Amino acid sequence: MDDTLDTLARADGARLKAFAETLIPDLGAIEVVESRSGLVMLPIRDTAAGVAFHLGEVLMSEAHIRKGDVSGYGMRRGHDLEASMAMALVDLAMATDVRLSECRAFCDAQAEALQKADDDVLRRVEATRVNMETF
Amino acid sequence: MAYVATRGGERAIEQSERLFREDMGPFDRKRVDEVKQGLPYLIDRVMGEASLYDEDLAALALAQTGGELYEAVLLLRAWRTTQPRLQVAAPIEQDSLFTHRRISAAFKDIPGGQVLGPTLDYAHRILATDVLQGETYSPEPVEPAANPSPAYQPSVSAWQAENDLLDPPADDPTKGNEIPDLTREPLLFPAKRAHTLQSLARAETGGVLALGYAAMRGYGQAHPTVNELRLAEAEIAVTHPDGRQFSAGRVKVSQAEVVDKKGEKLGIGYAATFGWNEVKCIAAATLDLNSPGAEKGSATEEEFFLYHTEGVESSGFCIHFKLPHYVTFQSSLDAMRDAKAKKAAGAAKQQEPAE
Repeated sequence: MDDTLDTLARADGARLKAFAETLIPDLGAIEVVESRSGLVMLPIRDTAAGVAFHLGEVLMSEAHIRKGDVSGYGMRRGHDLEASMAMALVDLAMATDVRLSECRAFCDAQAEALQKADDDVLRRVEATRVNMETF
Repeated sequence: MAYVATRGGERAIEQSERLFREDMGPFDRKRVDEVKQGLPYLIDRVMGEASLYDEDLAALALAQTGGELYEAVLLLRAWRTTQPRLQVAAPIEQDSLFTHRRISAAFKDIPGGQVLGPTLDYAHRILATDVLQGETYSPEPVEPAANPSPAYQPSVSAWQAENDLLDPPADDPTKGNEIPDLTREPLLFPAKRAHTLQSLARAETGGVLALGYAAMRGYGQAHPTVNELRLAEAEIAVTHPDGRQFSAGRVKVSQAEVVDKKGEKLGIGYAATFGWNEVKCIAAATLDLNSPGAEKGSATEEEFFLYHTEGVESSGFCIHFKLPHYVTFQSSLDAMRDAKAKKAAGAAKQQEPAE
């Protein structure tokens, strides 16, 4: 899994859009290949027989942009075309070395926030751990 | 079956729909958000049965139908057919689930331990009637542990397979569009395992529970013990145009394994669904456990439980009986009258010699 794309896909939508908008002037002319919402089929593996089967589909937003031969891509949960486009812009900026250090700093900050949110959830989950005693 | 074309109901039909919707009044994004925030387990159930994951759409469907679950699921199933499929994600593996709840009723000391997660299993079922008198119900806050629980928990069944308690699952290299898909292929019997499990994943909760419960009560071949029950979030692993794989977000999933003694090893049944709906998963896994060798026409026979737990089809068939069946019914009446007339004629004929 690509950590940067993982982070951008779950980053705070408002912050992502605000940051990506600042990249547009520096990216120059880009081609929008796709900007749409649709469904991603999600399979899971059965632990009894090892068979992969479909749970169902997830509503996603997708953006695919290009600058020359380089692609920028965004895919995020739900219907938010601006957010998926913002993800694609950051991805393209990083792939074309446009304001790379700022992009990395943005991703690092978002990754840290996501990690903290996960830790908060897991500390609450840990509070429900059963410490078995045998009588 | 036959129908008769009738006219004259257009206005009544239009007004009846208006009456249904008028009872709920106008609604907007605020109501959708309130449904989403206040009823997450209902949202999960609807998303599972619709096999469409999006909390906003599920809340909208519930708001639009006044909580008529079959209508809500039908709306979502219909809507999904209008959408393009962007990708097929990589299969979720159990050991990559971001786990919120993981328990076993079979072994107390499972690898990774037992975490109860969010549950009302041990709660007193007391209705908070004070709320109706104007009080605010404020649940006690969780006291977080100092250290986080491990996000990923090992598989109980893999541990059992290592200890020769059950046969390990076979390798299945199927991925992407090769995975059998009920939304694009018919369900045929004997069903492919991928079809069976997909069908159970989108089955109607009450139907699955009813048939699973029948098996649990003895109308099946195996008595389930919950080997592992897990509520978790799963990554949606998609592919960038340049080939990099990444997680495009997480969705809530439930999965259950149930086991029973089968010769020298354990037999195992499995089920999973979108959202957190553990009753459905335990019941569905029980049906999976019971289905091998089940008697034709029994509740645990695959064809029986898959056809009868498909909520959209079964509710649709049920409500179709409300539609005019005037010709069919008139035909039945004609047959009854004919039989009655023949019986009367026969009786009269038999009486003739005595007259």
